[in-house]
Amino acid sequence: MARKPLPPGLFALRQPPPLLVGKGLGAACIAAVLLAWTAATAGAPESRLVSPVLLPSPLEVVTSARSLLAEGSLLEAVVATLRRVLLGFLLSAVVGVPLGMAAGSWRAFGAFIAPVVLVLRNIPVAALIPLTILWFGIDESQKVMFIFIATVPFVFSDAAASVIAINDRYVDTAQTLGASSAQVVTKVLVPLAMPGVFTSLRSLFGIAFGYIMLAELVNAKYGLGYLLSMSQRRGHTDHIFLVLVLIGLLAWGIDRALAFFQRGLFPYRNDS
Amino acid sequence: MSQPAQQPGTKAPAPPAAGAAPRPPVVEFRGVTKRFGEGRTALTAVRDVSFVVEDLPGKGEFIALLGPSGCGKSTLLRLIAGLGPQHPPTEGEVLVDGGPVAGPGADRGMVFQDYTSFDHRTVEDNIAFGLECRGMPARERREVAREWIRRVGLSVDADARKYPHELSGGMRQRVAIARSLALRPRIILMDEPFGALDPGTRLNMQDLVVQLWRDLEATVFFVTHSVEEAVYLGDRVYVLSPSPGTIVRQLEVPPPNRPARVMQREREFLDVVFQIRDLVESLEPPEAGPATP
Repeated sequence: MARKPLPPGLFALRQPPPLLVGKGLGAACIAAVLLAWTAATAGAPESRLVSPVLLPSPLEVVTSARSLLAEGSLLEAVVATLRRVLLGFLLSAVVGVPLGMAAGSWRAFGAFIAPVVLVLRNIPVAALIPLTILWFGIDESQKVMFIFIATVPFVFSDAAASVIAINDRYVDTAQTLGASSAQVVTKVLVPLAMPGVFTSLRSLFGIAFGYIMLAELVNAKYGLGYLLSMSQRRGHTDHIFLVLVLIGLLAWGIDRALAFFQRGLFPYRNDS
Repeated sequence: MSQPAQQPGTKAPAPPAAGAAPRPPVVEFRGVTKRFGEGRTALTAVRDVSFVVEDLPGKGEFIALLGPSGCGKSTLLRLIAGLGPQHPPTEGEVLVDGGPVAGPGADRGMVFQDYTSFDHRTVEDNIAFGLECRGMPARERREVAREWIRRVGLSVDADARKYPHELSGGMRQRVAIARSLALRPRIILMDEPFGALDPGTRLNMQDLVVQLWRDLEATVFFVTHSVEEAVYLGDRVYVLSPSPGTIVRQLEVPPPNRPARVMQREREFLDVVFQIRDLVESLEPPEAGPATP
């Protein structure tokens, strides 16, 4: 009894659909969500399936942008949040990447610093907020340092792991070509680890973006997280949705920008 | 089992000293044993290996190291190269130019089986790597690199600016060979460099190695488990027994003075191949199953 051949086309196993078909499928999902959302929020406020206090209609969310923009608070919030997360994360990369690469290259140094990293990695991030307030006050420096402390152990570990993952053959080869230890590190280990480090920075940046919301919800005078908590207190559910969508778009846009740089920085990697 | 064949110290008649004081041998192994680990879990990679490769002025020797997988062929190469964890030996001495090997250096170039091109460097910059480490100015090393691109049969215009991921396996090994030879090492160590290449490419690469070796007058140690390759390339073939590896036979074989495709079909060449293959198979432990060609 011959088995039926596997269905071709959209149901082929493990085959990605053609580019446009794939995008179309994604668009269909968005359309379906919007449709369900619209259906649940259609009609006069009193006769809706879901109360507008819980879920405003898509149109209400979009039009609420006008009031938020008019107050000037939306743009200010975006700038403030981005500034905090970028500064904190940049600091994290500047400190964490070189230290991590050194720890991967000289494993004794890695062993020495391992306990600190282990402790920091295992403290829940939210638990760091009171201490950072004590140390750095409630201003910008507290937000930046919070992002730094929360992400630097992960940046460090990933950078160390990227160096450790490099095949010993490359080190052997460099040494038989006369490279000194310092030359092996600067001409072989660091450049070969960079693509992996960059990929990990991309995903860690997404996490840093999540942390800044936490810091801004706890205490802030402006920022996207602050806007969320204000909107909640004022009962502006439409603003909450608007900010959430905006956060998603921002994070996605930044990731795409980083991916673009990655292709330019590492033309020899055809997998990014 | 492995009869201590002709004691390797007693090599073929030494070349007549060319005038001046006798030069120390290029490579000498004195009772070299390498063990990994301690006690019951210890693993002996090579045992009591001794041999001498003389410095032949104006002409290096081509030594093919032949043996089944895991017989310690690579261990011998890495001991000469000074690469850990094989270096240093547990017992005995490895001497290069009369002095003990202290660590890796550019005088002993090595080509590995795996592709070891530096992914982030173009062909040209890969080949210039060692020259760059030496501090040669950029313009000068570019010229040397380009010369070597030509000498290994690549094209300066088409290939110099390519990255390794754009090259075939054979081309990558050409780059690896050029990268080592650009430093003009006295000793060239090749660890199954063509093991991953298809047969046709392999023959081309064999011809290339023979030609380059003649120009460079270096001493070459070439590890392979292909009997044909060993017999074709070598002036001398060292046959190793399986683990713990030791050299059981040294044979002189006809020099590769014809293209690989021609010579490897000739009756007398094949006779030598079959003779050595019989020898290698007689060394295989019975439970090892069919010999790997």
